[in-house]
Amino acid sequence: MIASPSYLPPVVDSFEYISDKPLDIVGLLAQSRDPKAGALVLFSGDVRDNNIGKEVAYLEYEAHTSLASKMIREILEEAIVKWNLNLAIAQHRTGKVGVGESAVVVITSSPHRKEAYQANRHIIDRIKHEVPIWKCEVFADGTKQWGNNCNCSTITGKADQHIYETSIEEKI
Amino acid sequence: MRVTVYAILKDYFDSSFNLEEKFSSVEELKNKLGQIKPKSAAVLNACRFAVNDEFVNLDFKIKEDDSISILPPASGG
Repeated sequence: MIASPSYLPPVVDSFEYISDKPLDIVGLLAQSRDPKAGALVLFSGDVRDNNIGKEVAYLEYEAHTSLASKMIREILEEAIVKWNLNLAIAQHRTGKVGVGESAVVVITSSPHRKEAYQANRHIIDRIKHEVPIWKCEVFADGTKQWGNNCNCSTITGKADQHIYETSIEEKI
Repeated sequence: MRVTVYAILKDYFDSSFNLEEKFSSVEELKNKLGQIKPKSAAVLNACRFAVNDEFVNLDFKIKEDDSISILPPASGG
């Protein structure tokens, strides 16, 4: 958990940004409550039972844990400063994640809802596009497919060039 | 030099292996791996490289005891 310097509690260094155990959404929510925050946004990326017209059995996630943890922490710290958040946390699963389970959780809080919403979308976009985490889809028919990228490259033409929903929205 | 690969690259290489051969740069290593497993070349060209938890460019000079991670485009979330 990282809290804004102006709103202690302090940074908790031992926070697990990458977890090989089921994400405790209720527990994360409970520890994110802050009397100074009037808005809390919780995003959970859940495993769908279908993709590209095929039935999904489960997903298998892999991460470069040390680098991914460092990057998520930096993304959260930047977002806290940019949107003056009370709090920002994020946790991503590795290993086998079943249909209906949460693969990633992002929680943001701020005095008013606009900043918490914007920051939350920004954080999940960056985690999906930049952080070294990979999903392998295992389909009900036994076939599997590694996610090649976050699909932005089909539009941008470059594997390292991404489309950020928040930046599109801000332009509108 | 220790090389660790992730995700789809494990279809072509062991997840972690040692290379005795010396490479002057990350680009040279990438090209060599693409020659060993031609089908991996397209993925390798889209990869990022990290040495000791820091991203490095293709012209990074590899030292003998470096640990190199080859990271395909992210697909988390």
